[in-house]
Amino acid sequence: MTGTSDTVLKVEGLQVSYGSIPAISSLDFEIKRGEFVAILGPSGCGKSSMLNVISGLLPPTRGVVEVDSRPLYDAGRHAPKLGYVFQAHRLLPWRTVKQNLELVLAASDVPRDQWEDNIDRLLDILHIGQFKNSWPMQLSGGQRQRVSIARALLVEPSYILMDEPLSTLDEVTARSLRQELSGIWARTGATIVFVTHSIREAVYLADRIIILTRGPSTVFENYHVPIARPRAYDDPRIAEVEADIIRRVEHAWGLDPIKQSEVA
Amino acid sequence: MQKENNLIISICAVLMLLPIWWIAYRNTNFIADPFVVATALPHFLSQADTWSNIGITLYRVVLGLAGGVVLGTLAALAMNQNKLAEQVLSIYVTTALRTPSAIAAIMALAIFRGAEIGYIVVVMFITFPFMAVGLRDGLKSADKDLAEASQIYRLGSLRYIRHVLLPFIAPFIFSALRNAHALAWKVIVVAEIFGAARIGFGAQFDHAWEYMQMVEVHLWLLVFIAIVLFVEYGVLRVAERRVFRWRG
Ligand SMILES: Nc1ncnc2c1ncn2[C@@H]1O[C@H](COP(=O)(O)OP(=O)(O)OP(=O)(O)O)[C@@H](O)[C@H]1O
Ligand SMILES: [Mg+2]
Repeated sequence: MTGTSDTVLKVEGLQVSYGSIPAISSLDFEIKRGEFVAILGPSGCGKSSMLNVISGLLPPTRGVVEVDSRPLYDAGRHAPKLGYVFQAHRLLPWRTVKQNLELVLAASDVPRDQWEDNIDRLLDILHIGQFKNSWPMQLSGGQRQRVSIARALLVEPSYILMDEPLSTLDEVTARSLRQELSGIWARTGATIVFVTHSIREAVYLADRIIILTRGPSTVFENYHVPIARPRAYDDPRIAEVEADIIRRVEHAWGLDPIKQSEVA
Repeated sequence: MQKENNLIISICAVLMLLPIWWIAYRNTNFIADPFVVATALPHFLSQADTWSNIGITLYRVVLGLAGGVVLGTLAALAMNQNKLAEQVLSIYVTTALRTPSAIAAIMALAIFRGAEIGYIVVVMFITFPFMAVGLRDGLKSADKDLAEASQIYRLGSLRYIRHVLLPFIAPFIFSALRNAHALAWKVIVVAEIFGAARIGFGAQFDHAWEYMQMVEVHLWLLVFIAIVLFVEYGVLRVAERRVFRWRG
């Protein structure tokens, strides 16, 4: 952490269209170093598209994306170090857990003599130390997602993007991973941008929730979560804040067109 | 345990051919007595001549197959890269795929006037389209999700190809290689017979047949089957199992 600027990511006037069809109409926001930001928005509003843009995978149709004060899509720029936890784990099935992690380390600038220690430390934090030499196929969905989180943390990224990483897990597993994620974030000081459909999950995890409008989206509201940490998932205050957010978005998100036609 | 079972099943499958052979021998004119063939086998195998003939055929197969793999890989890469190349090469590949081996053999041997290179070219010509099609299909199906993850973690092209793309298309490579290998042996024998080769497996087989040395014919046939099975099970499948051990 150099600390020259505490803004890690700056997005201005971001617009994304697929062909002539707009997915994101105009987004402006900033992410500060060490922040845990959740992104909330109705299905199809362009959340994944936005993550793809700020991860360097999808050049925006229009707008500015700056990582560490430099344009992300600058031809001369060396791609910044980022982590990405996808909805599916996207581990290489032909490499063991350790080999998967080593591969991203090989592409990073972490010196080789630190690999083993870094891997062991993270696997321990995520309680998957015993699976170090297992194949991804031998792990449960939750364990694979832990490896995927370890992989993202391992490269010492400017920020980590997570696209509904817990949505395919059963609620019990999701709960324990949520709690760990919160702990890991506190311990490592990582910057996390976390897309979710679960308002409660967003409230539990995030400092700030960027609420988007229906697609093509803009920022509806920057919502600062007024709950001190550590938080408990079943804390009634979390339910209160959740209810508050639902009240706010109800109108903006509206009913699904399909549901409306069902009502009619 | 599983491994031993498989071995036992395979051996039984081979042994089951013996009574069939014997029945065929009793009821037809050209099939030799299995016991006579078995008795002749040790002497046959101890002759240097046998091995030099097998050696030359093996040499033609290996070089031709290697050429086919290289050519097929290049064609697949080109087809995957470029729409125009795909359109043009598809026509060549389809043509090569549909060309009867005997015709390919006669043409190549006529063009190269029976020179050694002719045999290698036939094998190359017959095997390359299998490699091309198999690899192209593999490349086409390459996992976009894994490619994205590789880009996020800045693996770079070399690491991506080596650790992501190649393992991904490995099943396609193996199945193409198996097809190509099986075809290579079939076509080399045809070429050696049609090309009136003086040495090589096909030449010896043809010679024995012409002089009605039926025991010899059977001996060559046995050796041929043994080699093909050995490469398939002893080399290709073993390599495949090693490469795919992550499948558990
Ligand atoms: N590759 C693509 N080509 C064309 N249209 C696309 C593509 N990817 C997304 N879209 C469209 O852009 C819009 C936004 O999609 P996106 O996946 O970003 O939404 P999302 O907010 O992540 O949705 P969800 O919550 O369901 O995951 C959708 O209307 C989608 O159909
Ligand atoms: Mg999405």
